[in-house]
Amino acid sequence: MQSRSQWGETAIGFVVLALAAAFLAYVLGVAGVGKGGGAYSVSAKFGDAGSLTPGAKVTVSGVKVGTVSSISIDAKSYLAVVTLALDNNVKVPSDSTAKITSDGLLGGAHIALAPGGANDDLKAGDEITNTQGAVDLFGLIGQVIRPHGDAPAPAASPSATPAPSAAGADLPDVK
Amino acid sequence: MGISRALTPVAAMGRAVLSGAASVGAVARLGGQGLAAAFSPPWFPRQIARQFLAVGFQSLPVVGLTAWFTGAALALNIYSGGDRFNAEAVMAQIVSLGITRELGPVLAALMLAGRVAAAMASEIGAMRATEQVDAMVTLSTDPMRYLIAPRLIAATISLPLLTMVADIIGISGGWQVAMHLLDANPQVYITNTWNFLTAWDVESGLIKALVFGFIVGLMGCYHGITASGGARGVGRATTQAVVSSAILILAADYLLTSLFARI
Amino acid sequence: MTQTPKIETPKIEWPKIEWRGVAKAFGPKHVLDGMDLAVAQGRSLALIGGSGQGKSVTIKLAMGLMRPDAGAILIDGVDIAALPEKQVRAHAAHMGVLFQGAALFDSLPVWENVAFRLINADGMSRRDAKTRAVEALALVRLAESVADLYPSELSGGMQKRVGLARAIVGNPQVLFFDEPTTGLDPITAGAINELIRDKVTSLGCTAVSITHDLPSARTIADDIAMLHQGKIVWAGPASALDTTDNPYVRQFVAGAAQGPIAANW
Repeated sequence: MQSRSQWGETAIGFVVLALAAAFLAYVLGVAGVGKGGGAYSVSAKFGDAGSLTPGAKVTVSGVKVGTVSSISIDAKSYLAVVTLALDNNVKVPSDSTAKITSDGLLGGAHIALAPGGANDDLKAGDEITNTQGAVDLFGLIGQVIRPHGDAPAPAASPSATPAPSAAGADLPDVK
Repeated sequence: MGISRALTPVAAMGRAVLSGAASVGAVARLGGQGLAAAFSPPWFPRQIARQFLAVGFQSLPVVGLTAWFTGAALALNIYSGGDRFNAEAVMAQIVSLGITRELGPVLAALMLAGRVAAAMASEIGAMRATEQVDAMVTLSTDPMRYLIAPRLIAATISLPLLTMVADIIGISGGWQVAMHLLDANPQVYITNTWNFLTAWDVESGLIKALVFGFIVGLMGCYHGITASGGARGVGRATTQAVVSSAILILAADYLLTSLFARI
Repeated sequence: MTQTPKIETPKIEWPKIEWRGVAKAFGPKHVLDGMDLAVAQGRSLALIGGSGQGKSVTIKLAMGLMRPDAGAILIDGVDIAALPEKQVRAHAAHMGVLFQGAALFDSLPVWENVAFRLINADGMSRRDAKTRAVEALALVRLAESVADLYPSELSGGMQKRVGLARAIVGNPQVLFFDEPTTGLDPITAGAINELIRDKVTSLGCTAVSITHDLPSARTIADDIAMLHQGKIVWAGPASALDTTDNPYVRQFVAGAAQGPIAANW
């Protein structure tokens, strides 16, 4: 029953399993799962969590030092309460700033910590008081295109017409 | 008393519907009996182990190959087709989502249907044709417990395990393509994948695989048991086992996906 | 339709197996149509008749593999046709069957085929079962070296002998043989016949064989019955096969084209 061809198939089966296991180990290593030291929790409140999701990274000077564990809402103040899990071997001063930022237009939102100058560090359970919420990019773009209030669109056209004539006036000078 | 010529197509349709309904009943009955045999003693552990080896372990090469090529092709597609809206940044996420939720379980199941449903149907069909199933009954051994239940158990449990391997290898295929052909940063790709995937993405795929595995085992055994007519009958049963498995897998995939989409 | 002649069987007081008024049809074809037959304990019966006359169906009914459309199948006086499936299956514990093509399990080696019942139904350990299997193989004159081969590596005659070993290893009370010598050369056929006769005599089993090999029937059977068009048309001791004037038997034995059998085809 165990002919030679069956041993070949069995060997290939083992190879496939080994390849899968190796890649999985690599992924876990890169993702930093189970890296030594454990983590401690601190919290921060933001006016706008933007597109921040649990699992997003927490960085200091661009280096990942932890992850976002959870995001919830404070029922009284309507602020977004974000819990950060920071690696045990990373200490930041107690007056550090937490800012929600992103890698690019479509990049994932994450939290960047800017260290302060205090002598004491954040301990487990502390709250980061200096926070800056997510920037509403599309809101800003909308404001530029359609600003609410005075002056905007009509002012645009007169400024448009002088420009070509200014350019036209330039030309003879250049010449 | 005869049916007028005009009505014969109608009669034929009626016959088809009735025989279809009868088949559905027979399949359901076999499934019920098989499950009952699987969940009650006596069991035949040697046969179960043998089927795990044949169904699960020996399907690894084909599933691994399928998964790798699919993951690689998907990554290329997302990259080249998605540059219309800067999707390169989310390539890792889309590949991992597609593989774990849909392509991993479905393609592994279809590969298993081709390999395993066919093998089961032909083996059991041949045993019936040569009176081996009758012989087993006269040897005081229940073919439902010795032949059918081990195959059902092996297929149902192997497919989720195979799907896990398919998920990993599929994502690695996308990663290798991204790394070598598309100059992506390997660590960033992996971190994006890891942070983005939720447990439910993977779990929903594995639940699907459980259902698909049962379908493959059931269709293989059913068409084997009902094979008739010698060698040609066995051949026909083999083809029908594969085709019916594939159709049921895709139908179940749609049903389960729509069910999960509400969760 | 010609009249069936009077049956010359002596009435058996306590039959081991009895078919009473058995009818079985497959679609429009009435394979058995009011069949009455009995086998006494410890006797060997050979069932003869033309091809497709229902001989296989007759023994499959007695094995419990099929249920009759009408009539009773009595084993030790109990009608198994009226029993629920589970109790019918229980009867298999006391029977041994040699199927037409031996019906060995291709994926198992010879010894595991022979010991199949012991391992899977009786819960015997594999080592003990293998010992018993080798003993049974010796009884059918197969060497121990055969035990580890696979059925596909054996000749037809050896497969039948393994099938016989598998049938007798559990010390059954009843043996069924479906065409035990069909397709074998005369010498091997003779050896199988001897083996069957020997086992029946030494083990004291009740045996029912199907055959259209008359020399085989004469060797292995105490009694012979002839099945034609779903009914028993003659039954009597094996010695009476050549002396009876039953027209069906005479035509069958002579292999003649003329006679009551041809008229009904």
